[in-house]
Amino acid sequence: MAKMIDAFLNSLRLDAVARRREQRTFLSEYLPILEKSIEVKAASAIARRQRDDLARLHDAAIAAGIAEPTIEAERSAALERIRVRFDLKRRANAQNRKRALAKRTASELFDDVLAELVAAEAAAVADIERRFAPSATDLPAATQAYRSLLAAVTADTAAVVGAIVRRRDRRFAVVRSTYAAKLARLDARIAELVSELETSPRDRRETVLRSRIAALTRALDKKSAAGASAAVRSKYAERIARIDAGIAKRTARLNPVGDDGNGNVLPDGVILSVRNLTMRFGGLRAVDDLSFDVKEGEIFGLIGPNGAGKTTIFNCITRFYRATSGEMYYRKNLGQVIRLNDYPVHDIIRQGIVRTFQNVELVWELSILDNLLVAAHTVYRTGFFGQLLHTPRLKREEEVLRAKALSVLKTLDLLPYAYAVPYGLPYGILKKIELARTLMASPRLIILDEPAAGLNDRETEDLAKLIKRIRDDHHATIFLVEHDMGLVMDVCDTVCAISFGKMLAIGTPAEIQADKAVKSAYLGEES
Amino acid sequence: MALLALRLRTFVKRLSALSRHPYFGFVVFGIALVVLRLFALGGIVPNSLAKSLTVTMIYAIVALGFSLLLGYAGLASLGTAGFVGLGTYFIGHFSGTLGQTFAVTLAVSLAGAVVLGAVVGFISLRIEGMYLAIITLGLSEIMREIFKSFTAFTNGVNGLEFRNFTLFGAPVSEFAVDMIVIVVFILLILGTLNIIKSPTGRALLAMKNSDSAAQSMGIGLMRHRLLAFVLATLYAVIGGLLYMMDQKFSIPTTWSLDFSLNILAAVVVGGAQSITGIILGTFMIFGLNMTVLKEIAFFREFPDATWIVSGLLIILITMFYPGGLIRLINAIRFKLTAAIRKIRAKWRAYRYGEDD
Repeated sequence: MAKMIDAFLNSLRLDAVARRREQRTFLSEYLPILEKSIEVKAASAIARRQRDDLARLHDAAIAAGIAEPTIEAERSAALERIRVRFDLKRRANAQNRKRALAKRTASELFDDVLAELVAAEAAAVADIERRFAPSATDLPAATQAYRSLLAAVTADTAAVVGAIVRRRDRRFAVVRSTYAAKLARLDARIAELVSELETSPRDRRETVLRSRIAALTRALDKKSAAGASAAVRSKYAERIARIDAGIAKRTARLNPVGDDGNGNVLPDGVILSVRNLTMRFGGLRAVDDLSFDVKEGEIFGLIGPNGAGKTTIFNCITRFYRATSGEMYYRKNLGQVIRLNDYPVHDIIRQGIVRTFQNVELVWELSILDNLLVAAHTVYRTGFFGQLLHTPRLKREEEVLRAKALSVLKTLDLLPYAYAVPYGLPYGILKKIELARTLMASPRLIILDEPAAGLNDRETEDLAKLIKRIRDDHHATIFLVEHDMGLVMDVCDTVCAISFGKMLAIGTPAEIQADKAVKSAYLGEES
Repeated sequence: MALLALRLRTFVKRLSALSRHPYFGFVVFGIALVVLRLFALGGIVPNSLAKSLTVTMIYAIVALGFSLLLGYAGLASLGTAGFVGLGTYFIGHFSGTLGQTFAVTLAVSLAGAVVLGAVVGFISLRIEGMYLAIITLGLSEIMREIFKSFTAFTNGVNGLEFRNFTLFGAPVSEFAVDMIVIVVFILLILGTLNIIKSPTGRALLAMKNSDSAAQSMGIGLMRHRLLAFVLATLYAVIGGLLYMMDQKFSIPTTWSLDFSLNILAAVVVGGAQSITGIILGTFMIFGLNMTVLKEIAFFREFPDATWIVSGLLIILITMFYPGGLIRLINAIRFKLTAAIRKIRAKWRAYRYGEDD
């Protein structure tokens, strides 16, 4: 009973640590966004102010006939526009006249048009000049008025800008100190939880158990001294041994290189272990007693002829199929080991495993950015009623995840498509979007089902680089099924070849290429 | 003076920024409805117009719930009529016959809707597409039979009357009922908008596109299918409550397949994923003959001919705008903005002497 309570408390602590770590990344991701928004708001307020100032000064300056650089530029631009337009028209007219002369038709008509053009140009120029001419009757007074307005506006703006800057700095300080305090609180709590997790329950339990052993040993000594029978003594020894074994089991379970609580230990550095996996469809054994380990941080390739059962293995790992027999173990982010067989299909992504599909499975009604947000579904913490009311919390989450989605799109050079719908985009782009989608939920294991299918050679080369980059940038393990041998041999660290659901060989790409069984499976018995 | 002009300009700018908020159009729409109802009270527009708009709004609420089911979750149901009918009997029985307070009625109705929606949602986990439509149709027919025979609750085939409706101890006038309908309608529109633009709305769409892809992204089928059905049932039951407040009479023959099919038609004709489209579609299916066609002498003489008109409209719209009325509206809007842009360019060329 006590053991169960301890295990339960530990699992609660683990969850709490994970939750707080998530919250921590969330907060630290949100801070720059918040700072930027404060910055942008202040900058745009200042710019707005300056624009308004210009507007206020503009008319007064024209009235006073003051050659302000902006007004002068405006005037000369307007004149230039008119000159260019009438030049074009004059040139066209001259050409028409020449043509008329050549055809001996009424060329003098064009002289009239030219005269009209000249008059119109003069009128347009005069119009501009009038628009920019000083309109005040008393120019010195107008100039004086302008000067005082300028001084007033400048002083006013300086004060306002100063206030804006001060407010911005104050908000910066507040935000930073609040976030620092929040982060510090979270860190402290995480440290506390981790230390509790690492020491207290085990130590407490162990002390209790050890004192029990000591008591039993003392009792045994006393009984032996009193000359008890061999049966009684062996009974005591047995009890001591049982408690000892219990202690050993506890130590093993609480070890960072953990097991799932039932003594199924994963070796160091292995993220996924498939053991004796069998999947039967009626009489057909699609996967037959297959075992392999995927190491943390490697790119693991699964190859095999058509119908070898590669996608079936994927579907078993991601729980779309219930494996007929066999176990799958997986190591989570804090080193906890879980048995994947116990999880429903929609919980797999929460453990850090994401997959793509052979044929592109995007939501066709949503933009690419929203598609990425769908993939971040598990990251949201706002419940249904929060979503119904669009609480500030949801807005904050949306903001952060949108920023994250945009940054993911940027790293994959997909930014131009962010607001497009998937309809009509090239297949290579859609495949890349599928890949981008996997990155939204901070995965530890990315499962790619034929990522190069339907891509041309150039795109495949790019994909190879991309897969390596994702592995390095996101510290993820990649597990892929592929037909394109070039890609597999290029990117994979370990390759596993299967045929008819049975393992042919596992090893480095070079070893697989040299393997006889693999060659015969692909090229026939004789080769 | 110049400063005043500046103030005015910033005010207009603020207003135009506000008008880009997704709620703006619907809130303005709601205010317009209230104003129209006030005009009807003052005798400026006919009272019958206001009454038929109220009924249309009630149907639009039901259609909104149905669109979450069909347009977003991709689940076809023909059981809408039964749920609306249930809503009418809930309020008719608890508030009318038993004389309970409205709070009790509301609690019972919403709880009933949630339970019923969850049951249908569970069924939808096993059965999909056409078969789900048939099952829900069967369920609706079962409910209609229950309405007919469970006379203690529904007063059977004679229909249940609902008079003396009181709220906070005071009798509710016709005008107050219309106001309640408008407020609930607008609030539900805004709620629907929020759901559509939230992770849940996107999850429903993902589920509609591909079950397996949605599951691999952590979207639980059970949770979201149940949610879609519970929401649709809630909207339908709320529609039923409002219907009974407004019409004060409910009879089992109303809640037949016809009604469900009309709601389906309204959603499909309007555009299953657009709230504006659904309002337009409902108006076309239900409101048009009540407000416009009834004013024409020919249709007053042959009232059944209105069905021919709406049938023709459905055929035309599904032929030329399969995405629904909203596509038509968008096309018109697109043309209009293009035309405005052109006129503006011409004006600028004239005013500032830019190249034409």
